Amino acid sequence: MDSSEEKNNSGATCEFQQNLEILRQIDFFAGLPMETLKVFAYLCERESFATGDHLYREDDDDGQAFYILSGQLCLSHETDGREVIIQNYDAGVFMGGLSLLGPMRRLFSLKAGQDSECLVLTREKFAKAIAQFPELIPKIFKSVVDSIRSWDQQLLFEMAEKGLSLEGAAGISAL
Amino acid sequence: MAKPRPPVVKRSIYSWILGSNTKLQLVVLALIAVTVVARVIPLEMQKRIVNEAIRLREVDLLIRYCAIYLVSVVAASGLKYLITVLQVMISQRTLARMRKGLFAHIISLPLNFFRNTQPGLVVSSLISELTIPANFVGMAIAVPVINLLTLVAFAVYLFFLNPWLAALSLSIYPIVVLLVPLLQKRVNQANKKRVDATRTFSDMVQETISGIHEVHGNGAYDIENKKIGGIVDRLYRIRLRWDFFRASVKVSNNFFTSLGPFLVFILGGYLTIRGQLELGALVAFLSAQEKLYDPWKELIEFYQVYQDGDVTYRKTMRYFDSPLEHTLVPSDREPYQLDGHVEVKNLAFVTGDGIRLLDHISLELKPGQHLALVGFSGSGKSTLAQCVGQLYSYTDGQVLLGNAEVKELTKKDMAQNMGLISQTPFIFAGTIEENLLYACRAVRTKSDAASEGSDPSLEDMIQVLHQTGLFVDTLRFGLNAILDAERDSALVAQLVKVRQNFRQQFGETLSTYVEFFAEDRYLYHSSVAVNLLFGTSKRKEFSGPSLSENRNFIAFLEKAELKRPLMELGAELARQTVDILGNLPPEKVFFEQSPIAPEELDAFKMLAQQTRRQKLHELTPVERHQLLELALRFVPGRHKMVSFPNLLERLILEGRSLFKEHINGDFAGAFAFYDEKEYIFSQTIQNNIFFGKTKTTSPKAQDNIVQSIIQLLIEEDLLETIVGIGMQFQVGSKGDKLSGGQRQKLAIARAFLKSPRLLIMDEATSALDNNAQARIQNFLETRLKGKTTVIAVVHRLDIIKNFDKVAVMKAGKLIEMGGYDELMAQKGVLYGLIRGKK
Repeated sequence: MDSSEEKNNSGATCEFQQNLEILRQIDFFAGLPMETLKVFAYLCERESFATGDHLYREDDDDGQAFYILSGQLCLSHETDGREVIIQNYDAGVFMGGLSLLGPMRRLFSLKAGQDSECLVLTREKFAKAIAQFPELIPKIFKSVVDSIRSWDQQLLFEMAEKGLSLEGAAGISAL
Repeated sequence: MAKPRPPVVKRSIYSWILGSNTKLQLVVLALIAVTVVARVIPLEMQKRIVNEAIRLREVDLLIRYCAIYLVSVVAASGLKYLITVLQVMISQRTLARMRKGLFAHIISLPLNFFRNTQPGLVVSSLISELTIPANFVGMAIAVPVINLLTLVAFAVYLFFLNPWLAALSLSIYPIVVLLVPLLQKRVNQANKKRVDATRTFSDMVQETISGIHEVHGNGAYDIENKKIGGIVDRLYRIRLRWDFFRASVKVSNNFFTSLGPFLVFILGGYLTIRGQLELGALVAFLSAQEKLYDPWKELIEFYQVYQDGDVTYRKTMRYFDSPLEHTLVPSDREPYQLDGHVEVKNLAFVTGDGIRLLDHISLELKPGQHLALVGFSGSGKSTLAQCVGQLYSYTDGQVLLGNAEVKELTKKDMAQNMGLISQTPFIFAGTIEENLLYACRAVRTKSDAASEGSDPSLEDMIQVLHQTGLFVDTLRFGLNAILDAERDSALVAQLVKVRQNFRQQFGETLSTYVEFFAEDRYLYHSSVAVNLLFGTSKRKEFSGPSLSENRNFIAFLEKAELKRPLMELGAELARQTVDILGNLPPEKVFFEQSPIAPEELDAFKMLAQQTRRQKLHELTPVERHQLLELALRFVPGRHKMVSFPNLLERLILEGRSLFKEHINGDFAGAFAFYDEKEYIFSQTIQNNIFFGKTKTTSPKAQDNIVQSIIQLLIEEDLLETIVGIGMQFQVGSKGDKLSGGQRQKLAIARAFLKSPRLLIMDEATSALDNNAQARIQNFLETRLKGKTTVIAVVHRLDIIKNFDKVAVMKAGKLIEMGGYDELMAQKGVLYGLIRGKK
């Protein structure tokens, strides 16, 4: 299952160091001090998914965030019994940060479009760790607020470029 | 609420002094009377030795008086010791009684009380606060009586010898009594100022250091130095004053105590020269003068203890002096057996500060009917459920359970008839089994416990595990258990058989998840020790932590050129682990991937620091042994904080075959190497079935594995045995070794096992995944309907379709109630809620 564990890349940096490097580049964790990032890097686990494996399904409250190390993940939604692909995500993408913050049943399904390997952090671990650094919670809030705002802003630009009506589409950051 | 005795919080501190301690206290008094006499006798003997024995040069008398002197001194000390022992006994007995009494009172206080009370406060009250009054109770009779009596006896004796001299030498004490407290007051004032100034000082230093960027950026060193300089000078002056007064107290105390002999000498000497006082009497005076000091001091200290004890006791007891809302146990009857009929009439609940949480609620449930309470958050769903369950005492209206007013029922009546699953259920330290039985054991009456009051059977427990979906979890705990060679010998043979079947049926499919034990391959999911030994020994010196102390093993490591590289690995592991986990609390989530256990962390913190300062060979033997021990635990597949050099891996693998040769030479038979036909007692049941170890912690993989194993265990008729073993799993403090879902399932199982007439579920399935939730829902619908009345506070609206009644709440009021279909057809609030959700 977990092929990385089979290898023994001697001399190379250990998995923990690699995780730490990755987390440092993720916006969600931006602004967190090294001491805290180390704890998250330590708590992350690597998991492999074969093509077609579901990472979660609609209505699950799995409470996981993923960073795609390799492969491709596919986000979909079932409408009237028909699976509609929303988007594909490639290596280097972090997703699911919101579900770390509190219980949330998924509105979408996520499955492996190709054989993929991900770094996985669960809400249980995240919550226990962040509870040790309560002074950082405002920073996490800030990064969530930032990402919602920029998501909305991007939508505004895109809709305007395509000449589409904004009615009912944007405005999430105004909630 | 007739109470036979006043609650513990109403008792005065003085009531503890006698009470059940009366007998002991009387013994103390008797001992004191004898002690005081034994203390005066030496004075008289001193006088006689000088006046009679020495003056008349009578050796016989000298010996006699000295003997009496010795006997009374020994007796006085022995008796004092006895009195102290009794005093300690009284205070410890009192402490134990106070603790039990207060704890029993606290846990029966209404839930409301705990909204504003931190657990820490209860802990400190029971643990530290009560020791002070208990200490006082122990001293309350012994200390004042013995010291006052001693003082009085000495004074009387001295007056009897010479009233003038007695008056003079005792006259110092009133002066001390007046002067010392005066000075002490000044000390306290100065001390208060010192504490304030120190705090200001520390705040200012902290501010400067936190803002050091700004200081550097502006080059504002002078400004900061001036700021700090001012406060440092002030602190200097305050401290000087404080020290001055402190010294004055000490010096004046000493001065007056030394003044005593001076007065005795000047007046007593004069009287003796004039022949008005015998020399012996003078000696007795001097000696008494010295001995007066101790009882005096003890009395003053006692006064302090009394003040502290009294204040702490009142404060503690007053804090917890809150009335109980319900009687715990009916005094004159057995607990009621009620039917599951629930009727709520015009119910209202207003909090102490006047907030109306429930208003005008009326509803009725026939025995066995199921009600779903839904509504907006803050609408009062949980409060209503808790009022029905007697957790909160409603302020107006009625709740009838089986036609009995819930408010009037005792806690035991409720517990007997109701099962309650709260939103965040609590699991206590102990085994799964103990937690399952928690609710059943709590309702056991005394007559039960004596006669047929046995626990539910294993079958009953396994049944609720199935019903709640906890069966697989428990099985998994069982599979992770380590068996005992003596006790489980029969089971072991069957498990080896399961191992063979496993290889045949699932070896291929599960090989992605499992790392099989193979003699020629490095095992990334096993420890370095396992990789080296590839076997286990029954001999203690070759297993566990003693391995790294075993000289023979160390010699082998040196031969295999592994000792130093392993110590290096240990040092790196220690440094990295301490760096990551150094400041985290000892929770399972942080330490399950750590080679260092939480209780060892402090020791390894020091060691990690040593390895930064010193070379490996400069460390002490104990430290080197610690590093080696740590390295032997290293599992590359789990401990990801260090890299595992290729070279070391090859060396260890070579070491494995070297070890076999080595051990077969000197310790033939001491070792059992891993063999596919033998059970390995140092490994878990699951690893034994695999003859290997799992590589992954992913839940999906675990599921696949367990499903295959279940099948094999059923074939061998071992399933229930292993689940039985799993029920002995220790869940950890607050159940922290269980996941949120497992805790919730255990809480549901605990309530189901009791099979109550009324079941209250307050969002009881919120932490469960869809499958687990559906399983429980299904059980409610098919097995409990018509038998157990259910009131369920529901957050997820997709599960309410099959409830008999749905009640929709808003702002403390019931705004809709009826069958699901009926309400949906009305297109009212429920309809709106569901559409909003979907």
